[in-house]
Amino acid sequence: VKFGVLRFPGSCDEVDALNACSRYGDAELLWHHDRHLHDVDAIVVPGGFSYGDYLRPGAIARFSPVMESVAEFARDGGPVLGICNGFQVLCEAHMLPGALIRNRSLQFQGERVWVRVEHDETAFTHAYDRDQLLHLHGREAARVGNLSGVLAIRLEVLEIRLRRHVEDHDVAALFGLAGNLGLDSPRQRFFERAEIALLIRDVGQLLLGADVIPEHIFWRRDTGALGQVVDQRRQELGLGRRLLHKCREVRIVGDHRRGRGFARLCSCNG
Amino acid sequence: MVELDVEDASRVDEMCERLLANPLVEDYEVSIIE
Repeated sequence: VKFGVLRFPGSCDEVDALNACSRYGDAELLWHHDRHLHDVDAIVVPGGFSYGDYLRPGAIARFSPVMESVAEFARDGGPVLGICNGFQVLCEAHMLPGALIRNRSLQFQGERVWVRVEHDETAFTHAYDRDQLLHLHGREAARVGNLSGVLAIRLEVLEIRLRRHVEDHDVAALFGLAGNLGLDSPRQRFFERAEIALLIRDVGQLLLGADVIPEHIFWRRDTGALGQVVDQRRQELGLGRRLLHKCREVRIVGDHRRGRGFARLCSCNG
Repeated sequence: MVELDVEDASRVDEMCERLLANPLVEDYEVSIIE
């Protein structure tokens, strides 16, 4: 398998993604200005701060030449995974439904959460068992009723975290389900979607947005040379001190092995 | 607030819909100052 990892100005997780993909096949970076996808078999839209998150995260990146090719690639059935900012890019590009909004706290948040597999028939989740609870003491956040063909993997969090989560952290927004909730305003609808961390358009499609960042699992294993390279690159990109601080905060992360469901949720806008 | 100097104000709504705002989650209002 050959992976293509997009790189936008302001991306900062593309090296992590490249490293993760290279464990399972060939991987190369695809520059945002290049329409040619170099015959890749799968595409990762990585996290970071594409175009400095100007206007909104992903708002500018969606107009990058490479995104036209990515959309065509997805339409032809090619697998596309958007992580963190990549998730936002896919939403802005209307490849995934909805939009991501700011956390209620208006601050960056990074915390461990638990996820539950709602659908095991997708290409991204077939290695898991459906309804596999990844933590027995978890509790669901507000349940969304009929998902209308849109699949989601819900977060399971510890009870104490659940309260904080619902109050402070809107993980992802999913548009088009308002009728199922009976809520009045669009903003209320979004707030009820706090439990959705990963979003896939349809069972048969291979387009996934994730607000968890599994590629960082490799970071810790690669302390040393790679970490230095990434740090150097971030500095070369001219990211501000505050941004660098954010980037370092999101390193990490837990255990992604099958059946051990840690995921690290890091989000500024989702 | 975004301030723009444009020749054709009739395109501002289109600009908002396509880029300046995300109408799924944001409202916008256009004020034209001659």
